[in-house]
Amino acid sequence: MTINRRTFGTRMAGSALGLALALSSVALPSPAVAAGFPEKSVTLVVWAGAGGALDTYGRKLAELLEKESGWTVKVDNRPGGSGAVGVSQIMTQPADGYNILVFTGTLTFGIAQGLIPFELKDFRMLRAMQSEPSSLAVLSDSPFKSVDDFVNYMKENPSGLKVGGHAPGGFHQYMLYQLMKSGGFESGWIPHDASGKVTLALLGKHIDAAMMTPSTGLAQVKSGDVRLLGISTDKRSEFLPDVPTFKELGYDIEGAVWRGIAVKAGTPDDVVDTIQAAVDKVTASEDWKKFQTEQFQDSPDWKEEEFTKRAESDLASQLEFLKANGYAQ
Amino acid sequence: MDGILQSLGVIFSFSGLAVLIIGALLGIVIGALPGLGPSIGLSLLIPFTYNLGPELSMLMMISLYTSAEYGGSISAILLSTPGTAAAAATAIDGYAMARKGKANEAISISLTASTVGGVFGGLALLLLAMPLASLALKFGPAGYFAVGIFGLTSVAALSGGSLVKGLVCAAFGLALATIGIDPIAGTPRFTFGLFELYEGVPFLAALIGLFAVSEALAMIESRVVAAPVIKDKVGHVFMSGALWKETWRSMLSGSVIGTLLGILPGVGGNIACWVARDYARARDRHPQEFGKGSANGIAAPEASNNATVGGALVPLLALGVPGSPTTAIMVGALIMHGLHPGPQLFTEAPSLVYAILFGTIIASLVQYAAGSLFLPLMARVMRLPDAVIAVGIMAFAVLGAFAIRNLMFDVYLMLGFGVVGYLMKKLRFPVAPIILAMVLGYLVESNYRTALVSSQGDYMIFITDPVSLLFLVLSLVSLLTPLWRRLQARRMRRLDGTANGAAH
Repeated sequence: MTINRRTFGTRMAGSALGLALALSSVALPSPAVAAGFPEKSVTLVVWAGAGGALDTYGRKLAELLEKESGWTVKVDNRPGGSGAVGVSQIMTQPADGYNILVFTGTLTFGIAQGLIPFELKDFRMLRAMQSEPSSLAVLSDSPFKSVDDFVNYMKENPSGLKVGGHAPGGFHQYMLYQLMKSGGFESGWIPHDASGKVTLALLGKHIDAAMMTPSTGLAQVKSGDVRLLGISTDKRSEFLPDVPTFKELGYDIEGAVWRGIAVKAGTPDDVVDTIQAAVDKVTASEDWKKFQTEQFQDSPDWKEEEFTKRAESDLASQLEFLKANGYAQ
Repeated sequence: MDGILQSLGVIFSFSGLAVLIIGALLGIVIGALPGLGPSIGLSLLIPFTYNLGPELSMLMMISLYTSAEYGGSISAILLSTPGTAAAAATAIDGYAMARKGKANEAISISLTASTVGGVFGGLALLLLAMPLASLALKFGPAGYFAVGIFGLTSVAALSGGSLVKGLVCAAFGLALATIGIDPIAGTPRFTFGLFELYEGVPFLAALIGLFAVSEALAMIESRVVAAPVIKDKVGHVFMSGALWKETWRSMLSGSVIGTLLGILPGVGGNIACWVARDYARARDRHPQEFGKGSANGIAAPEASNNATVGGALVPLLALGVPGSPTTAIMVGALIMHGLHPGPQLFTEAPSLVYAILFGTIIASLVQYAAGSLFLPLMARVMRLPDAVIAVGIMAFAVLGAFAIRNLMFDVYLMLGFGVVGYLMKKLRFPVAPIILAMVLGYLVESNYRTALVSSQGDYMIFITDPVSLLFLVLSLVSLLTPLWRRLQARRMRRLDGTANGAAH
């Protein structure tokens, strides 16, 4: 039995001369045959607003899917609810691969905190395409020249420094928590609601040290005003070859905020394979490599199996971190 | 020097002027449409700027950004529907003036003040970027908290007749601002399990509902079908000498306030417009005119929100850190061209830096020209009968609320606020304090708590932090001045009384 339901979507569209309200009607297809996928336009549901890092990635992906595979791709920004709005958007659509979620590693935090009312098994995590590490940053005139200096000071003076970064209970605080466990010290956390404000707080000496994505303070890192003591990548970053990793300094910490794509669980294998093949073409293209370098992004390129495994282990250790810090029960 | 000449060459080339004009026209339209502000406008523009080169794409973006700040006032004046959050303060006096049949005059004041503010902010950026940036760094959480408190002291000025009603509304707004994910603890508060409320009550939904829908409902109720009599000549663009004389002080004070608050991340035009209006009112010889269509009530907020553009670019150019969502998008566009903002740009790409610096000033002048073209057309809206305007407001309100996040939830919420606003109108409660409190509530709360986290619970941080102390003292002054004036007036009367008594 084929059910044809018409869904009306109203979207604001920008055109050269102004804005027009476009009324589009899309009919659901009969069960997808992967050989013919995609038979209509594919929607990338970006779970953040227009203009941010995730949106920039989503739009580049859309552009290159169109260019490399000849698909028609729409970008649909669904910000809100710490990602829950975007997740709900794909979960209320059929599992046919036509709605692909563009999302970040905060998914596991959202699930662990109970903010996103879904589980990992509701998704097929297709590919992690970008990642950015965290780093421990101080000002150039700080007495701390190494992670050891910082850790030793904190051991002698528990919570003796003002340490802060982006968001309460998020990735950067999680990295600090790992450093605390590994180094055996105690520290408070001063959350900031935007990553740019972390750099400003550091420069204005309102905090003594920050856990932050290196690219958010890039101008200062390059000019030497901000010193990065350690970085949470597995190997030294190609963008910052002079910054030691926490691992090589003897702190067993590794982590990154990734950005990637997922579809609803139950999407047929052949459709997923078609999507994966199209993504392979994107990641192989020169345009994509240039984009990644310009954006200071590492390319983890984890496929479904590894991506899922990493998300599961992230979720488990983040849940422990959140409970230990009172962010979750 | 070469950089300066090169940048001027780009600005005054055919393509330079073309992108400035296109940016200005787009900006005015996007600003005037409620729900679409400068940041959404810029993100829609980005794909079109890929092929333009860094200088031209920055010029286009600045032009759109600047003009959108002005465009927001058009719908605020004509339809009582602030097109952008920073135009909320303009709606009060602008709409009142328009209902008196002087829509044309109101828009020309807004256009002129926007241009003055934009040029002022641009000059400040050009001449004082570095000192202003180091000023911005002095603001820690305690300082931001005190700025928020200072902003809240203008509730009194927005209360109309009854201070008690104003305070009740401000308290309601502050309560609304506590909805959402706790800024320190990270857990949802008062969201009723609705994830649509995690980021708080969408500010634009409240703004559109309280200002626009309540007005449309009131219009439907009134039996007047005819359009208000147009008193001024349509097509009248330039402000008269008398108006200049009346408003130049508020334009100047608004420009200074806008520039200074613009450099502070997270503050910007949404707050500057209220502070500027309050300051102008306190200095005005006829403060009782505010709320009834005062020219200064339009000039001050409009000058301030355009001046924030230059201010917001200060941390971007001097430190490489975007201070607002809008400038964050500009960073994204620069990165697309392989450039990273920051002080090193002055040596790496001087012509780009000067294109941004001069472009900010020139974009304001282009906005004036583009705005003048639109103005006669716009003012004709007021010739429409109320019934048509009411339906138009409702259509724009629904469109705007949906555009915030593409969620019907926001539309329903906006309509709910419309009913609340309508009832408030009936009971003579002022809506502006709710808006002000919603804007400031998050700033005040998150920074108050961050300050205490960083001082490990020591309240002295609000006194020992010099910025915080300064603004807390200013808040006291702002609160006590009206009281002192009233006492002074009473003493004068008593003195008059005794003098008269002695004469008899």
